[in-house]
Order: sequence, then C-alpha cells, then structure tokens
Amino acid sequence: MNAAGNTTLPTKPPRNWWLWAIVLGFLTAMTVWSGYGIGFSANELVCNIAGGSRLLEESWPPDFSFLPRLIDPFMETVYIAIVGTVVGGILSIPVAVLAARNLSPDKVTWFLDRNFMNILRTLPDLFWAMLFATAVGFGPVAGALALSVFTVAVISKLWSESLESIDMGLPEAVRSAGGSWLQMIQFSAIPQAMQHYVSYALYAFELNIRASLVLGLVGAGGIGMILETQRANFEYERVTLIILAVLVAVLIIEQISETIRRRLT
Amino acid sequence: MSDDSQQNATPASGQGGAIRFEKANIVYPNGVVGMKDLDLEIKPGEFVVIVGSSGAGKSTLLRAVNGLNQLTSGTISIDGREVPKSGKGLRELRKRVAMIFQDFRLVKRLSVMTNVLVGRLGHVSGLRSMLNWWPQSEKAIAIDALERVGIVEKAWVRASDLSGGQQQRVGIARALAQQPAIILADEPVASLDPVTTHQIMDDLVRINRDLGITTIVNLHFLDLAREYGQRIIGLRFGELVYDGDAKTVTDEDFRNIYGREVTEDDVLDDEVVAEG
Amino acid sequence: MNAPNPHVLDPTKKPGSIVGFGTMTTFIIAALFVIALIMIEFSPLKMIQVPGQVAEVLSFFWPVDMAYGWDNVLPAIIESIQIAWIGTIIAAILSLPLALLGARTLFPRIARIVKFISATARAFPEILLAIYFVPIVGLGPFAGALAIGISSVGMLTKLGAEVVESIDFGTVEAVEATGGSRIMALRYAVVPQVLPEIIAHWLFRFELNIRASAVLGVVGAGGVGGVLLNTLRYRHFEKAAAVLILTIIVVLLIDMISGEIRRKIIKG
Repeated sequence: MNAAGNTTLPTKPPRNWWLWAIVLGFLTAMTVWSGYGIGFSANELVCNIAGGSRLLEESWPPDFSFLPRLIDPFMETVYIAIVGTVVGGILSIPVAVLAARNLSPDKVTWFLDRNFMNILRTLPDLFWAMLFATAVGFGPVAGALALSVFTVAVISKLWSESLESIDMGLPEAVRSAGGSWLQMIQFSAIPQAMQHYVSYALYAFELNIRASLVLGLVGAGGIGMILETQRANFEYERVTLIILAVLVAVLIIEQISETIRRRLT
Repeated sequence: MSDDSQQNATPASGQGGAIRFEKANIVYPNGVVGMKDLDLEIKPGEFVVIVGSSGAGKSTLLRAVNGLNQLTSGTISIDGREVPKSGKGLRELRKRVAMIFQDFRLVKRLSVMTNVLVGRLGHVSGLRSMLNWWPQSEKAIAIDALERVGIVEKAWVRASDLSGGQQQRVGIARALAQQPAIILADEPVASLDPVTTHQIMDDLVRINRDLGITTIVNLHFLDLAREYGQRIIGLRFGELVYDGDAKTVTDEDFRNIYGREVTEDDVLDDEVVAEG
Repeated sequence: MNAPNPHVLDPTKKPGSIVGFGTMTTFIIAALFVIALIMIEFSPLKMIQVPGQVAEVLSFFWPVDMAYGWDNVLPAIIESIQIAWIGTIIAAILSLPLALLGARTLFPRIARIVKFISATARAFPEILLAIYFVPIVGLGPFAGALAIGISSVGMLTKLGAEVVESIDFGTVEAVEATGGSRIMALRYAVVPQVLPEIIAHWLFRFELNIRASAVLGVVGAGGVGGVLLNTLRYRHFEKAAAVLILTIIVVLLIDMISGEIRRKIIKG
C-alpha cells in the first residue's frame, strides 16, 4: 500500500474479512440451498416457455361476455371489506391503546397485549380465512371475520406507534385533575392521534379490498370464489377477465381512498 | 518523496490553463440573466477572486467553465479549445478542470481515500473503477494529493467523521488528484468558521503558487478577496463591473460592485482570526 | 363510531353547520356497515353463533399433534422460507437497476415509465400471479418463488426509487465535474449513499414474503399453506394447530432477526 513510501500514511485498517466471509457465505449457502429446495431450474423455465405462451394465448382475449356475472361477487367482496374494516377498526382501538407504552395502565397488560398483537401479525390473511371458513362454514361471513382480525393486526400496530409519540402534557393534566384512566384516553390521548387513526383505517380498507379478492380461493366468499372455479376448469379467458376487472376496481377504490385520506390529513 | 510528489501532482509544463470568454451570455429558462456579454481572459497560473453580491452570477461564471452551465450565446475556450456542450469531449475537458464546492460534496459513507480517488475516475478503465480496484500509481497520486492538504493521516476514515474544514481539504485533494490545469472553487469557505477559512485559503494559494494551476475562487468576504487575490473580478447582475489588481482595489470599487455601502456582513471578523 | 369529532380534533375550525363533517362521515360509515352486514347475511342470530363455533373448533386444537408438526409441517415451512428467499433474491436483483432508472432526479423521462410499470406490478397480489405461473412451470414451489419475485419487484422498485430521489444530488454533480460518466456517478455517488436503506427494504420485503409464500400453497405453489388447507379440510384440527403454532414461532423468529439486522444496517 505504501507505494509513495511516505511515513505519514497510516496503514489501511484491515477489513473485517471474517465478517464479510460469513455474510457472503451465508447468503450463498442460503440461496443455493433454497434454489435446490424449491427445484429452481432455468432449464425448466425455458422449456416451459412454450407451454406458457400457449397459456397466454388461451388467456387472451378476456371473455367479456362473462363480465355481468362478476358484479354480484364483486359487490360481495366490497361488503366483506367494509364489515372487516369497521369491526376490525373498532376492535383495534383498545388493542392499540394497551400496546402503547405511555398509555398502558401497567407493564403486564402492555407486555401481554403487545405480544398478542405481534402474534396476530404473524399469520397471513388467508390463514385466518381458512380458520373461519372451517369454523362458521364457507361464505362471506367467514371472510368478514378473517378480515376483522387482519385489520386489528394492521391498525393496532401502526396506531400504537402514533399513540406513543403524542404529547403527554394534556393526558397528564387530565390525570392530575382527578380524571380516570378511561377519561384520559378518551378526551386527551385519542383525539391527538385521531387523524392517524383515520388514515390507517383507510389504508386497512385498501388492503382489505385487495385481500378479499383472494379470500374466495379458500371458500371465504367474494370474487375469489368465482376465480377459483374458473381456474379449476382452466377457463383462462375468464380468469384474465376477472383479474383485469379486479385490478381496475382496486385502482379506482385506492384512488378514492387516497383522495379522502389527503382531505382528512 | 517530495520529488516524487512534484512529479505526480504538478501539471506537465505547457499544460496551460488559459480561459477566454467571448461575448458570453447565459439566460436561465425563467428569464433570469446569469451572464451578460462577458469578455474575459484569464492567463495560465493566475489566482483570480470573483466578488459580487449573491445572485450576481459568480457561480454561473464558474460553472460555465466546466460546462455545468451552458452558454446561451458566445463562447468560452480553454487553451484555445471551445468548451464542448456534452459528450466525450466535455468529459475530457472536465478531467483538466477541477471543482471545489461550498458544501464539499463528498460521499459521506465512503472513506477519504475513495473520495479522493473519485478525482481519478477519468483516468482508469471502466471495469477497474466499477470494481473499486485502483492501480498503485493512481493510489500514489491520491496519497500525494492528501499530503498536500495535510490530512493524509485521515486516509482511511469515513468522510462523515471529519470536521467541516477537514472535509473541504478532502474536496481540495479530490481536485488535486485530477492533476488539473484549472481549479474552480465555488464559495469554498462559506460553510466554515474564520480559522478554518484562513487555513483553506492558504492551502489554495500555496497550491496555486507551487503547482501553477490556474485558480478561480468565488468569495463573498471582501477582506479575504483583498488578502488572497492577485486579481479581483467584480460582477453585478451578470456583468463585469471591475477587473483589476487586488492590491489596488479600493472601498469605492467594492461599493460600485455591490451597488451599496459595504457593511460588516461583507467582511470576515478578523479578531477571531487573530486569536486563532 | 370511529370517525373523528371535529371539535376535539381541531379547535381552530370554525363552528359551521349543525351536522359536522365528522358526524356525517360516521353516519355514512354506519349506514354502509349495516347494508354490508345485511348483504353478506351476517344476521344477529349468526352473530350469536359465531363465538360458539369458533370456540368449538379451538377446543379440537388440543392436544396439538407435534409429531405431525416435526415430520410434515416443518419441512413445508422450510419450503415457504426457501420460496420467500428465492423470490426476494430475484426481486432484489431486478429491482436495483430499476430503482436507479425509476429515480426522477437521475432519469426524468425513463422514470415515468418505470414508475408506471412498478405500480401495475404492485397491484397484483402474488397469489394471482401464482395462478399464471403454476401452469407454466408446473405445480410446486418454483412457481411460487417466481410469483413472489415478480410481485415484489414493483414495491422494491418504488421504495428504492424514493430512496435514490432523497439523496444529496450534489455528489452526483461533483463526480460528473471530475470527468466521470453518469455510470461512474451512479457507482461512486448514488449506490454508496442508497445501498444501506435499499438493503433494509429487501429485508423488510423478505419478512412480508414469508407471509405471502405461506399462503401460496392454496393454489398449489408450494409451502405451508397447502398443508393447513388440507388439515382443515379433513378436520384434523390437532394437526392444523401444529401448523399454526410452528408458523407463528418461525415467523416471529425471522421478524426478530431481520428487524435487528435492519436496524444495524441503517445505523452503520
């Protein structure tokens, strides 16, 4: 390194080669192991391009005559999302308040609620849908229940963080003026974070619309149920139509929700 | 070592560094005039200080020399060759014209060494530079540049861990590593405290004297301009309103350049410097 | 209900009509909610039944069949992790150049096209993509990994482009002022500044992809979702319980590790 032969240049601090080797080794090993495990093969991909192009031919053009039959299931999807968002939205309020470190009445409640919240978050939406479809039978009610749980998971996590960052001056004043814990939460804590709440609720609604499209794949109602039957019958022209219609609808709903969110916040 | 460095960083004799503006105009898209009918000649090895109030077109002038700002009409030429508008020609020219910025513009997450080597990017193959794999000769040039500004001991430190003055020295070292014919310094001391300001200005003057690199410095402190400049150029609304020797410039001239009385804000507090 | 009371929310707002915006919103939401309840036939009778039904199913979860868990569920979860990993790697490799091209500050014209494509890709839930990939590469995890990869590209491109747009652009100019090309400016000014945050986004996406890959089994694209579907379909609840418990533990663990690494990377 000391090409210039000078005395003032300090020697280059050695790189942490061990760390680099371990990180690189881990990444490579993980990728090779995973690639092997899932049967990754570029070969297969190339060989099956022919089959893929046949599939694409079959999926095009979309079967537009099928469109009228989508309206009812699609509305069902929207209803499921509404019920899920409202029920989940209400239930998420206590969950979020108890999980906020500054508002929770005691450490034990906080700890339990926080872990409850984290466990809710680990399970994907379709798992809840499968569970509820098994418990209450196939149909939109199962979907609405699943989305309620999913909504609690989404809103309470985000909103508890907002609640933790509120100004505690007013809540403490309420407490010292002799107000109860509930009064403090209701009149001084929640109002401060209300705008965040509305914003997260709308966000959850968008996620729910998207999720309720696929709930039908496990029998939990909505447009996904039609998608599942058409897919099982290899009616790919209809599958394409459903997916396109759904995409357009999702984009429209997201646009509306975005507009409301911007107006409110 | 010193012989070595002399060889490394000195521009080869006859490398020039003459700049010539002819009827140069710059009008920005929003209609603001950045440069108006400028005729100016700067000789190789000169140390020129440009003064003027903010918005007078000091930066515009500097950035026109290396093509960061494009002329709307007229020409700029360096050593008789017109500054190209874009492409490989412009990149070739920029290798010989280094720039030092007010806000240093170092990549904070990279080491000082790598920041200085950025000045050598134009001189190594694409593959080597992409792999951050530098020949010893290039590293030697970078080390030499760091020695000239006296921070070679910080070579392996992250740029973000340096003080403002040290960061600007790295900025100067990066410019030196280009082995340029011209150095453009755009308000190089505006973000620094008075003590560091003098150290940086001393560095620039010494480099100009030792290596004969044409140096143009934008300053807004009048006392600094007087103290360090050989030649002072005054700009007002993009127009050249003063061009003369730094030793003979008068307060009247400054009033003329600024279009108002000279105030305390226009000079650097010298007491602080004396203490430092 | 859950809409804000405008008087509490914003005391500076002038008192206007008797029925405030908040009250109106609350009313509309309540009406929509009731209509939706009726339309999906969620009758009061049903509401009373639900807790009992859920409790009944839950009661069958015990005792958990952990033997089934170790022998059948764990391999399926591992497959889900592998799917998520390969999907994330595919998405990371594809999204890095796209994120640079998608940055308004670097490539104003190309950025629009890239952003449009990434928005479209984001609109597809990965499970719908899997529906197309399954017939192409066959039933199994490979289809799942491709679906996860493609659907993640959209989000990673968007987030990455935002990171690139947020950096100090002056350093790009500084590199170009030394005579370096735009590509060299990307290498020396942009990439070093954005890489830590972009890697943090990759890790975060990996956490999301674990959940996404867990459900892909529903359409036959590998992973633990298929196992859960089967155990529930044949009402092997003690086996389903093993699926849920193991999934929760593994996902929590990965979230914790990945979250810790993300924090380290952003700080370092």
